[in-house]
Amino acid sequence: MKPINLIVLVALVLTLYGSTFTVNMTQNAIVLQFQEYKKTIAEPGLYFKIPFFQEVRYFTKMLLVLDASPADIITKDKKTMLIDNFTMWRIQDPLLFLQTLRTEPAGESRLDDIVKSELRVELGTHNLIDVVTKTREEIMEKVTTEANLKSVQYGIEVLDVRIKRADLPSDNAQKVFGRMRSERERIAKKYRSEGAEEATKIRAETDKEKVILVAEAYKKEQETRGNGDARATKIYADAFNRDREFYAFMRSMQAYKNSLKSGTTVILSEKSDFLKYLNKSR
Amino acid sequence: MSDKHDMSWDDIEDPGPPRDRGRGGRGGRGGGPGGGGGPGPQFEMLPIKLPQLNPSTILIGVIILLVVWIVPSVVYTVAQDEVGVVTRFGEYVRTTPPGLQFKLPSPIEHVQTPTVRKVRAATVGFRQSGSQEQDVPNESLMLTGDENIVDIDLVVQYHIIEAKNYLFNIRNQDQAVHDVAETALRGIIGNRPIDDVLTIGKAEIQIQVKESMQALLDKYASGVQILNTQLKNVSPPQAVDFAFKDVQSAKEDKDRLINEAKGYSNSIIPEARGKAAQIIAAAEAYREEVINKAEGDAHRFLAQYKEYKKAPAVTKTRIYLETMEEIYPGMNKVITSGDKSGVLPILPLNKNLGEAFSSGSNK
Repeated sequence: MKPINLIVLVALVLTLYGSTFTVNMTQNAIVLQFQEYKKTIAEPGLYFKIPFFQEVRYFTKMLLVLDASPADIITKDKKTMLIDNFTMWRIQDPLLFLQTLRTEPAGESRLDDIVKSELRVELGTHNLIDVVTKTREEIMEKVTTEANLKSVQYGIEVLDVRIKRADLPSDNAQKVFGRMRSERERIAKKYRSEGAEEATKIRAETDKEKVILVAEAYKKEQETRGNGDARATKIYADAFNRDREFYAFMRSMQAYKNSLKSGTTVILSEKSDFLKYLNKSR
Repeated sequence: MSDKHDMSWDDIEDPGPPRDRGRGGRGGRGGGPGGGGGPGPQFEMLPIKLPQLNPSTILIGVIILLVVWIVPSVVYTVAQDEVGVVTRFGEYVRTTPPGLQFKLPSPIEHVQTPTVRKVRAATVGFRQSGSQEQDVPNESLMLTGDENIVDIDLVVQYHIIEAKNYLFNIRNQDQAVHDVAETALRGIIGNRPIDDVLTIGKAEIQIQVKESMQALLDKYASGVQILNTQLKNVSPPQAVDFAFKDVQSAKEDKDRLINEAKGYSNSIIPEARGKAAQIIAAAEAYREEVINKAEGDAHRFLAQYKEYKKAPAVTKTRIYLETMEEIYPGMNKVITSGDKSGVLPILPLNKNLGEAFSSGSNK
């Protein structure tokens, strides 16, 4: 092999290398000839071009995530919300994209403008609480559709606009915290006073029951005692009625024993029954 | 904002993603059509050295270079937790299982080996780097359906089920999963009242987040499957935490007050019942006592009466005298004559008698 042949070979390889290009699964390619559009390649594979004359621009056809910075948006009820969204998008028409925006950062910036303005329009027709709750899905669908319509002219397809955060600005958040706090305080107070109520009821019921128990016992006590007294009275009466005179005598004797204690002074007549034999023998 | 996400995201994920192995980068750069890239220098150096070297030596050198260049780009290994995704001139051709695999040399075929088995995690509300956890209040604080604010941390575990989709359909999939997690979670929390979120709704929310996320990720053909969503922390925001805790302690206060009252009741009622029983028992005892006493007295009286009837006069006299005998010894006695002239003139009003009277009246 002569050296000159080797040089030719090298030149050939270089030319061949310069005249081929690969388009990946994730790419679309646009072939430009002196900046003039020639063709769009949408299928992956190995392709040829004229070296030095033709130039290839690649655009991704992957789905892209645009996570823009949050923005303040005013709702229908004149409340400010902090909306943070992300957009799923792709470059649908590389040529249009190249003509209008050229680069991805430019595309993102334009897309963000479009989405934000659609969000502003759409949120302006809803009240704050609806944005948070029931109409969130609707809003996202509507904004997706509208943003898609406006992006077509840039060769962009908007697959999905999703609201990540729909929050209150920080001073409103403080108000919400205040409200939440007072609400909880109200609930706490309710629990405590319910506790006091219940406890007082129980105590009152207890006291009542106690009084009733004692009163019932008193009633029964008096009945029982009365019964006893009645029975005793009857028994005494039945027995003593046999001979009233003898009872009076016996009971008197007992009463004397019990009531006339020592130290009592009595004046006894000689004629009393006790002393009737004192001065006599018979 | 998105930069921050990227960085913190990479902290969680494997810092050197293996997806670019043997491939010329993703997206815009592509194949590099300039031709002055990779193999260029080998050819440019050759002409300079040429005159001093034997052509066969050069040939051997070229072959060695080719071997050194080609062999590493023909043989590749796929680890147990990976699959190999091979593209030929940028077009997907096959997926290969773990093990030693072959492909055509580098400019023709490229391989990427994403770790499909690996369980990846996305977090909302906090960021994890190593064992450190950092709260991200912007993400974790969210509005509930009743316009309250709740603090939620979410962990989503997912893996790749379709390596081809994962590699080719979405750029920055991990960011996409994170964003989808956030939108799903907030959408669901926004539809529930705070008490629901804080208490019974947890399990349900986890399931809903998972379903909602999977639906969106399928819509984007992400090739990602959500394995598990877990609400790591659901709590009231710091600013109102005390008030929420106070509700808990108020609940306990309520129970405590009620228990104390019940305790009072438990101590008072049995005591009162005991006292009532005591009173009644005493009354019953009294009843039995008076009845028995009456019966005893009656029997005694009747027994005496029975004997008295047999000799009334003498019995009466006996009892009288016995009684007098019993009571007189302790008494002061003044005996008068039986005349009807009166007691007064003969009373010996002496000192002793006066004392006896006064002591008697004192009794």
